[in-house]
Amino acid sequence: MAWPCVLLPVKQARSGAAIHPRASAGPLPGGQEQEGVSSPGLSAPLRTRPRGHSLGSASPRLPGLRWRLGPGAGRPWPLPVAPPARKGVSGAGPRAGGNAALSAARRARSGAASSGAAARSPPGTMGSMFRSEEVALVQLFLPTAAAYTCVSRLGELGLVEFRDLNASVSAFQRRFVVDVRRCEELEKTFTFLQEEVRRAGLVLPPPEGRLPAPPPRDLLRIQEETERLAQELRDVRGNQQALRAQLHQLQLHAAVLGQGHGPQLAAAHTDGTSERMPLLQAPGGPHQDLRVNFVAGAVEPHKAPALERLLWRACRGFLIASFRELEQPLEHPVTGEPAMWMTFLISYWGEQIGQKIRKITDCFHCHVFPFLEQEEARRGALRQLQQQSQELQEVLGETERFLSQVLGRVLQLLPPGQVQVHKMKAVYLALNQCSVSTTHKCLIAEAWCSVRDLPALQEALRDSSTEEGVSAVAHRIPCRDMPPTLIRTNRFTASFQGIVDAYGVGRYQEVNPAPYTIITFPFLFAVMFGDVGHGLLMFLFALAMVLAENQPAVKAAQNEIWQTFFRGRYLLLLMGLFSIYTGFIYNECFSRATSIFPSGWSVAAMANQSGWSDAFLAQHAMLTLDPNVTGVFLGPYPFGIDPVWSLAANHLSFLNSFKMKMSVILGVVHMAFGVVLGIFNHVHFGQRHRLLLETLPELTFLLGLFGYLVFLVIYKWLCVSAASAASAPSILIHFINMFLFSHSPTNRPLYPRQEVVQATLVVLALAMVPILLLGTPLYLLRRHRPHLRRRPAGRQEEDKAGLLDLPDASVNGWSSDEEKAGGLDDEEEAELVPSEVLMHQAIHTIEFCLGCVSNTASYLRLWALSLAHAQLSEVLWAMVMSIGLGLGREVGVAAVVLVPIFAAFAVMTVAILLVMEGLSAFLHALRLHWVEFQNKFYSGTGYKLSPFTFAATDD
Amino acid sequence: MWMLSALPGRGPAHLQRPLLGPASHLGILRPAMTAHSFALPVIIFTTFWGLIGIAGPWFVPKGPNRGVIITMLVATAVCCYLFWLIAILAQLNPLFGPQLKNETIWYVRFLWE
Repeated sequence: MAWPCVLLPVKQARSGAAIHPRASAGPLPGGQEQEGVSSPGLSAPLRTRPRGHSLGSASPRLPGLRWRLGPGAGRPWPLPVAPPARKGVSGAGPRAGGNAALSAARRARSGAASSGAAARSPPGTMGSMFRSEEVALVQLFLPTAAAYTCVSRLGELGLVEFRDLNASVSAFQRRFVVDVRRCEELEKTFTFLQEEVRRAGLVLPPPEGRLPAPPPRDLLRIQEETERLAQELRDVRGNQQALRAQLHQLQLHAAVLGQGHGPQLAAAHTDGTSERMPLLQAPGGPHQDLRVNFVAGAVEPHKAPALERLLWRACRGFLIASFRELEQPLEHPVTGEPAMWMTFLISYWGEQIGQKIRKITDCFHCHVFPFLEQEEARRGALRQLQQQSQELQEVLGETERFLSQVLGRVLQLLPPGQVQVHKMKAVYLALNQCSVSTTHKCLIAEAWCSVRDLPALQEALRDSSTEEGVSAVAHRIPCRDMPPTLIRTNRFTASFQGIVDAYGVGRYQEVNPAPYTIITFPFLFAVMFGDVGHGLLMFLFALAMVLAENQPAVKAAQNEIWQTFFRGRYLLLLMGLFSIYTGFIYNECFSRATSIFPSGWSVAAMANQSGWSDAFLAQHAMLTLDPNVTGVFLGPYPFGIDPVWSLAANHLSFLNSFKMKMSVILGVVHMAFGVVLGIFNHVHFGQRHRLLLETLPELTFLLGLFGYLVFLVIYKWLCVSAASAASAPSILIHFINMFLFSHSPTNRPLYPRQEVVQATLVVLALAMVPILLLGTPLYLLRRHRPHLRRRPAGRQEEDKAGLLDLPDASVNGWSSDEEKAGGLDDEEEAELVPSEVLMHQAIHTIEFCLGCVSNTASYLRLWALSLAHAQLSEVLWAMVMSIGLGLGREVGVAAVVLVPIFAAFAVMTVAILLVMEGLSAFLHALRLHWVEFQNKFYSGTGYKLSPFTFAATDD
Repeated sequence: MWMLSALPGRGPAHLQRPLLGPASHLGILRPAMTAHSFALPVIIFTTFWGLIGIAGPWFVPKGPNRGVIITMLVATAVCCYLFWLIAILAQLNPLFGPQLKNETIWYVRFLWE
């Protein structure tokens, strides 16, 4: 409880699973633990008692430990004794309430229950949103016969997170590795089938209904069925391929024959001979064989030029080649895509050249066909070919019909099969994390489970194991790890929890900032984004998303940016609402002021009293209203900023002063709230000394210095009136002088004896620094000293006992779990290293005290960003809209001109003021929450409970 | 109410607006020009946000989210009330007045009076 921040370096505490060198040697608690588990399952609940007892008996000797355990008697971590667990196992009470709890858990899990469903949180706990739920480590004894059904049921419910008890065992040596492999093979087959379906251009329908993980004996059936289908599909595909290739060959042949190379070639041939004959004839005598031979075939178009060149060069021109493109593309036999071919006809003389040509065409992977010389024979062959290809096409059609039948069966089988096998694999992987009891009758699993869900867990285990005639049991065991953090959210709170989790998941049972963030985040955003018009647009956008959230089209949208906005729709809704409110206070709507109430400043009174005649007005371009003149200032504007300021030339200097002071006030309040929230942490974790030694000094420091600044601001607002405006004291100078213990004669004091008060406050605040720095370390040292002195004697005995108790039949994976639990061991043994504690506290002190200064300054971003937003929107109005409004006097002209101008105004309002400015204000609000607010109380070093669930598969 | 004692000369009796003629002939419907009391808005808004922040939580229906809803109500009330309070306090005792262009003065004199 205290250890992550006090006794241990945070890093070690955080990892939790740090390998602990002593784990195998087993100091007393560890040895007990091992013994407890090595016993066969059902007696284990009883065995847990000595363990708790040993902790209890150890506590008087370890005051540090007792101090941690003592106040936590009602809390699960570290869990003191087992009674609640035993009640859960044997008691009839939880059984009776089991059903209701189960359904309640389901309701809660469905996430839609924003209200109405009765709270079933155990009495005495806060709402689950304020701190993470109580999570217990549960040992599940799953009889071998029912283990599979139990785990599969748990997967459907998503109640528990399994811990790996076999971390030291490699994946290949685990118990269910064969089944996992079988599932994987099946998945491979599924992938093949899926690919085939995709190739056929079909779309897999989504699986229908609830598909539980199939019983293990069904795996064989599914596998057989799938394999048969895959084999059939392969065969049919192979046939289809072969037929297509054959058809393709026939078609090419027909194309080559029918291409009509004949006459032209013949002409070329005769010409060629007459011209070349003399040249080619060797002096020794004419060639004996002057018969012209033909090679005909087809080649892919991109190879054709290369082929032609190579033929020419290799045969030194003893050939005539003619290339021609096909008139229409043929289907590629494998891919089915249309492909062009070049047919060629080569005539040559001489056998050797013929061989060369054949070799070259082979190299180019050309299809070479016999080419009959006689026209008549060619025609006959062509006819024959066409007939053949017709027959082939018929056969192919039949094959394809059969293929589509097979694919239809695949479409039926595949979607449910995939889900089922996926679940099955998940179950086996979970089972692989369990250890086997010594008698091999039982699997032992360890899991984190919310205490609220324990009845549901019992119920589920009983339901799924009674079918097999055995009974699986679960019971709580003491836990020495920091449990995971579980915070249930609904669709409204999820986005706010997301903001917090993005910084860091909270430590177990730490105060969760999210419920406060729900309001403060949109509020601080709105302070920077205050404009009625812009807020309204944002609100309407978010409202549209909220109203349409149940429409399937909206849900299914895949666009990442859209999804981001959609997930934050409730956040946007609140941001819009608060922007409208702050917009009213700032009195800005698209940078224009509204006067809901009459202004508090009377121009007429000023004119009357000072005698501003029309002539006087004409002479003076700029005139100032004087609040000292009777009747000019009639009182503060009741709601927000007076509209007269929007007309004034010096409105910026008014807004500057107002917004700066506002930021400081909001900042100090926000930070003080953060420090106060720390109280809940200290009380909950039983560290009441920190209330006195940390929270109180921190609050005094913060409020003594910056709270006093807020007081000065408000005091000046209330008590310094216009009459004394000339000699009004400057708060800034006062505040600086406060730290210098000096005073400046020109700066009038705000109230009598101011310097004494200020000096007292500074001294008080500075006095808090040593308390903050030394208080906690000294306190811890004092508490720890007796324990340190006694330690050596008891320690050796413990070690011995640990070694002796080390059971030979210890569960396979237990040692690894010991290692995991090592973090706590560390804590128990943690010799309180004074230097470390001091260092930790020194860092904290420096961080807090300097942080107070820098964080207060950091809140000034509220001032800067709200001014920037107001100025930007005013510039946009002045540069676009007001020019447009001034352009045309006639109605027609004005209407024509205003359309594009308004369009430009609207586009720029959305793009710059809403999106860009909104993003930057969002970012700054985020920073103010993460850094300035949360570092006052939130450590965020926990980890999330990620239950074993099929939910992702079902989707 | 306690504020009033700290503010000499801000009572409604002192804030009778001196009459100014010229706007009446324009036929603009003039809002009744009353002095803004400080106490009235303070009472109204304190009551309003007090109702939301203190009385509201009693009416939140029982349910798992009761705590969160109550927190939201209280936080909303605190934030909004604080923000409104800062705005009105900042204008309570102006040290300087608005600087207006002569066109604006002329215009405002007729429109607002």
